[in-house]
Amino acid sequence: MNAGGETDAYVLEAHGVGKSFTTFERQPGFLGVLKNFVARKSVVVDALSGIDLTVRRGETVGLIGANGAGKTTLVKILTGIVPATTGAARLFGRDSFHLRNQEKARLALVMGQKSQLWWDLPPIDSFKLLKEIYSIETVDFDRRVAEYTKMLDVEDRLKIQLRQLSLGQRMKMEIIGAFLHDPDVVFLDEPTIGLDLVSREVIRQFLVRLAEERGVTFMLTSHDLEDIEETCKRIVVLDGGRMAFDGDLAALSAQVMGKRAIEVHVDPHTPIDESALSRDIAAFGAVVAGRSVAAVTVVVDAARLPELVPALFQLLQVRDLSVERQPLELLVREIYRRSDREGSSIAGSRPEGASV
Amino acid sequence: MTRAEAKVSSWESDARTDLALLVKTVGYEFRKRIQFRTGFFVREVLNGMVQPLVMLFVFAAIYRSASASGDAADATLGSWQYSEIVRYVAGLLIVMKLVFNARGLDLSAEIFEGRITKYLTMPFRYFVLIQGRFVQFTIMQVVVATLVWCLAYALMGDRWLVPVSWLATGQALTLVLLGSYCCFLLTVILNTLAFWLDVVWSLLVMAWFVISFVGGAIMPVSQMPVWASSAFSWLFPYWMISAPIEILMGRLGTDAFLRGLAIVTVQLVLLDALRRFTWRRGLAHYVGAGM
Repeated sequence: MNAGGETDAYVLEAHGVGKSFTTFERQPGFLGVLKNFVARKSVVVDALSGIDLTVRRGETVGLIGANGAGKTTLVKILTGIVPATTGAARLFGRDSFHLRNQEKARLALVMGQKSQLWWDLPPIDSFKLLKEIYSIETVDFDRRVAEYTKMLDVEDRLKIQLRQLSLGQRMKMEIIGAFLHDPDVVFLDEPTIGLDLVSREVIRQFLVRLAEERGVTFMLTSHDLEDIEETCKRIVVLDGGRMAFDGDLAALSAQVMGKRAIEVHVDPHTPIDESALSRDIAAFGAVVAGRSVAAVTVVVDAARLPELVPALFQLLQVRDLSVERQPLELLVREIYRRSDREGSSIAGSRPEGASV
Repeated sequence: MTRAEAKVSSWESDARTDLALLVKTVGYEFRKRIQFRTGFFVREVLNGMVQPLVMLFVFAAIYRSASASGDAADATLGSWQYSEIVRYVAGLLIVMKLVFNARGLDLSAEIFEGRITKYLTMPFRYFVLIQGRFVQFTIMQVVVATLVWCLAYALMGDRWLVPVSWLATGQALTLVLLGSYCCFLLTVILNTLAFWLDVVWSLLVMAWFVISFVGGAIMPVSQMPVWASSAFSWLFPYWMISAPIEILMGRLGTDAFLRGLAIVTVQLVLLDALRRFTWRRGLAHYVGAGM
């Protein structure tokens, strides 16, 4: 442990971290509004519970989970924006909610849904303000602005008001702003949300390059599994505020992410016999993951896709068919299903107390 | 380096960063304010001028009805003749331009919509950015108020409010600016209630009305009943609005200035302590909405 309390191994630690919010139950109707006015009923919502997590210097961690899983709350706690209700969160060895300026100077946060830069100013002016805030040397500042804007292909957009830039250009500027002070740990909360494929790819390459060249520690939350796959080596899955999986991304990809979801649209006048279909596709290792009146979703190993698709045309009156990477919700469900069945044999670990 | 020396060094470094940041923020705030010409004219030039102009008509009507001859100039209400009231309103027009008001700050919206989240992970005091807005507002309004005063003096001569001395001008300006900082702190405190409430704007409007009344922006405090004027003289709004104008007019002297300076300074320190307290408590409630 160094003088600042930071352990040599971990830059980021969470031990039994939980977060509860108190909200008030709203009853419907006029009478309900009157009741609420006289006596409110409070409800405690557990957004996170029992999160144990340690991140080493230079690690790249992808944080995934469905909406409401607790990803952003965890990022807020780890960056010191909100305090944990239970447990302890530490960044650089110090309680996250009581970070000093010297720790904050080593941290950066990019929020895909909130601008870090000043809306009314051109990015270069915001960068100059950040230069003052982080006390960046002029030489380093000039070099990094030139280098990063070139890497992200926004050199000619520096002097245009932020509000006039496209979403992709804005996000690139946000990311440049986050890296200007050469942070040790960077949190990225949905940095590619709403961006086109080209912009996503450019941003991913930028992150990978900085992680490799400078040993920056990343924690990236995203709904886009490609973001995680291309930039992170480790993955943490949250579900309902609990940690469902924490381990190596490559192993998870091999075991779970190699799945594909086939959505088959059929003639609505020809009902689907789900039990018969389940029985028939079981031979391919496939399962029915969902259905509606005129569509059924089947999940299967990617390797068996070429065998199953022709079979589906024989089994069903197929009108249309699409194949996609396994959706996040199904992925989480699969992780739980497997860990229930195989205990700790699944790649990574399943924390005690996690429940489906 | 001893622990105490390290602490001093760290404090000096923080202070240097704060100052550099304050200067930069003031520059950016200036640029934001003068970006659009109509916006600049409405917000910066007309700011604080409408209410005194309306009051001029109200006082004319009141003094006319109180005068036996029907001529407002013949009437005296309290210790105020009509010509003095006109010069008081002229002073009000200048002073109210210098007083910081809620319009210059949208902190409550920043808290409520989660826009302060970005600042919480940065190594600086967020308050410096807010102070930058106050400094920018004050510098700009001092310039605009001086120009307005010069223009009015050129048009109206001695019928306009002319300070009795340079000393009185300095004393009045000191009280107005210190009081304005108190007003700024109170605005910040009310804004930080957004950590708990969603009705901050209503509270700000109510508070501004009370400050205007207690300070003498609606009528001179010395024209109010004795109990009211003696009670209000213990509050900073009086020393921010009514008293400085009376100092400029020569109705109050250096003794009053020193008393006002003491009262305003004490209240400034108390408000700053309260501002720190509400900010700290508020942050513990913050949920970082919208992230």
